[in-house]
Amino acid sequence: MNLRLNVTIMSGVEDGQHLDYSADNGDGQFDGDKWTISIGRREDRDIWLRHDIYVSRQHAYLHCQNDLWSLEDCDSTNGTFIEDNNKDEAVAGTIAIMPGILFRVGRTWLRIDPLE
Amino acid sequence: MSAITLRDILINARQETVQMRHFYLGVEHLFIALLQIQGGLTTSILQEYGLTPEYVIEAIRRKANRGSAQRLWVGIPYTPRAELVLDIAKEFALEEKREEPSERDLLSAIIAESDNLPTRVLMALGVDLGRLAQAARTYTPATEAQPPDIAVIFGPDFDRNETIEREHLFILRRMFAAYPRIRVERRLTGFRKALILVVTPIQADEREAASVVAKIDFTDNILDEVQRYETHIKSALPLQAARLEDPPTAPESSELAGIKYTLVASSGSTPLDLRLRVQTVGVDDLGMLLKRELYERFGKNWWQQNRLFRFQVWTEYDWLLPPILTLDLMEDTEPPPNVCVLRIPFNRARVKDRLGRLQTGDTVVLENFAVQRVDQSANLLKLAIGYGGEADKRAYQIDVRGFDFTKTSFYRGEIVDRLIGRVWKTRADALLEAARDLEPDFDLRNKWLLVGRERILNPLLAYEDLLDRHISGSQSKIHGDLHLGNVLIGPSGSMWLIDFGHTRDGHALFDWATFEVSLLGDAVILGLEDSWKTAREILQLMMALNAQALPNQPDNPLIKVLQTVVAIREIVHDCLTIPDQWEEYYISLALCALRAIMWKTMSRGGRRLMFLLAGLMALEARKPTSAPDGLTPSPDEPDATAIPSASTPRTDVFHNSTPAEHLPKGSSKSQQRQKSWPPDLPSDEK
Repeated sequence: MNLRLNVTIMSGVEDGQHLDYSADNGDGQFDGDKWTISIGRREDRDIWLRHDIYVSRQHAYLHCQNDLWSLEDCDSTNGTFIEDNNKDEAVAGTIAIMPGILFRVGRTWLRIDPLE
Repeated sequence: MSAITLRDILINARQETVQMRHFYLGVEHLFIALLQIQGGLTTSILQEYGLTPEYVIEAIRRKANRGSAQRLWVGIPYTPRAELVLDIAKEFALEEKREEPSERDLLSAIIAESDNLPTRVLMALGVDLGRLAQAARTYTPATEAQPPDIAVIFGPDFDRNETIEREHLFILRRMFAAYPRIRVERRLTGFRKALILVVTPIQADEREAASVVAKIDFTDNILDEVQRYETHIKSALPLQAARLEDPPTAPESSELAGIKYTLVASSGSTPLDLRLRVQTVGVDDLGMLLKRELYERFGKNWWQQNRLFRFQVWTEYDWLLPPILTLDLMEDTEPPPNVCVLRIPFNRARVKDRLGRLQTGDTVVLENFAVQRVDQSANLLKLAIGYGGEADKRAYQIDVRGFDFTKTSFYRGEIVDRLIGRVWKTRADALLEAARDLEPDFDLRNKWLLVGRERILNPLLAYEDLLDRHISGSQSKIHGDLHLGNVLIGPSGSMWLIDFGHTRDGHALFDWATFEVSLLGDAVILGLEDSWKTAREILQLMMALNAQALPNQPDNPLIKVLQTVVAIREIVHDCLTIPDQWEEYYISLALCALRAIMWKTMSRGGRRLMFLLAGLMALEARKPTSAPDGLTPSPDEPDATAIPSASTPRTDVFHNSTPAEHLPKGSSKSQQRQKSWPPDLPSDEK
């Protein structure tokens, strides 16, 4: 099974940028059970947010297990947030996240897009 | 309008991105540039939704956040999304064989892309994107609609001594543009610029439409109120209620705006607010009506929601009190070493210590405070630890004076990295000033004050401890400003709530504490001599009332009035989180009363009573919480008020927590006070 992920950057200088990831292409880490995509300001991160100084070097992870996505904050300096009822709710630890929901790492908003 | 070229729009957009320190050109900057075209298509269309360009710009800036001075790229690049939007706009132009996109094309393109920040903000503001897209394609600005000359006449109940300012009349005429004539029946209470009127529109054939309540206030306040109504109230109102049915009237040319509350199920004759009713009719059956018409009808979706809510008192009540500091802005200065720095997030205990040592003239550095309000006319910036209507975000208010807003601009919700100021006034100063204005016949430095033979706490010295306490309370939807003026009553006794400008999810008892304060300060004191003696007499009755020992004297008018307070206490009893544990209410009441001493709209007699009430309730609130005998008392101990398990007999709660150390020596108050209220109510009624 090919695992794929489409993410759109929803704010900042890269607003509107689409990012596509695929386990077959060697994106992310796959441990036979869970596929993990890393987010951070360090160059080797899968989702590399080089333009946001509020993003930590390793800021957050997206995990996919049994077709369900979850979002994990890695004790980042400025936090990871999820949009809830027009308010930003801080993510503590790992939470489930549905495609279409906006989340924010540092000051950059991101969104998992449903796969076509 | 066609004179506006794409080049002009892009110049505006670049200015916006530089001002916001973003240094990229995104759809948000393009949209703000459109909103800055005076009399343009975008502003005219949003006007129809009752939204002003300034309000929408602030909402977008809030969402986008100000950037940092650090730039990680050169120039001002377009974002991928902005490029896409501009491409769509060009296509729209080409379809009509024009070379360059117009404002209309750009607006249509932004709506068509539909995934950008401005459209997300518009949706959150309740704008229907489908209708907006339609309007963007077809709208032609009407030739400046002349407001029709609506005759405003005044009903017999309108106080002739009151005048309505021109600007208010202008808004009022706009609000009722569909009628040739309106009759202003009466003015309800309103403070500052806010004006609340009961208005009867009269049709051309002389038929009268049902009266409505018209509220006129600063545009920001009105639009915020509409937002709150949409998110909090709309779905939680009982059938018979005051409803907002039309979009607000917010003309671009005025700093004021207006909304109309329709009184659903009003019987036709004009309603009074409770303050007026108390003045004219008295309070005879008010307690019963409050329970039946207000508490029972609204309660289920409001105060009875009972979501368990454990909080430290300051998070819900700090915002009531005067600003923690008022500073004079110091520009372009490097602060001296060892200066007091208040940086958010902070540790309350440490900050409290630092704040406690501050005096007039000291330098303070503020970091990461949020802008709650920009007061242009007073050159004042109101900051707090967060932005929004929730109480915990409005805590630690700091006012900074002396801005030149023509040079620096701020938007509400902005996080300000750093500001330096010199202390002009502390909260303690402000409270002391208000207390001195009451001309006390006792020393404001004393910890204890004497009322008859009883002692109460000096609220000026007691409130800090209250703010540190923890409450195991419950959270519900609350009105947020439930004073007598915000409850309307019809001739048959039906009640409506109006003015949802402070509605939020908060401590369920806050509304009733506010109401009791308003009742005591506005109604009970009415017609009595304005003296400390009167205030003390009423306070002694309040002591009896707290102890459920109000003397049975049906002929005593004061006792009669206090029966309404008894009714409120019955409602409160029903809402208490831990049955018969009054502490959460007493703390709430103490702080609401202390706040009221700042109210210039309350008579001095009323404020004197509030001062004493704050002291009494601060004392009462001390009683149930403390460590058991033999342990070191710790006022901060969060578990001292923990909810007992079901198996814990209720009496133990009181027994364990009766604070021997905290009681004043010689206090004659006994445990009797904590009996259930009212005494004959079965304790398991809930």
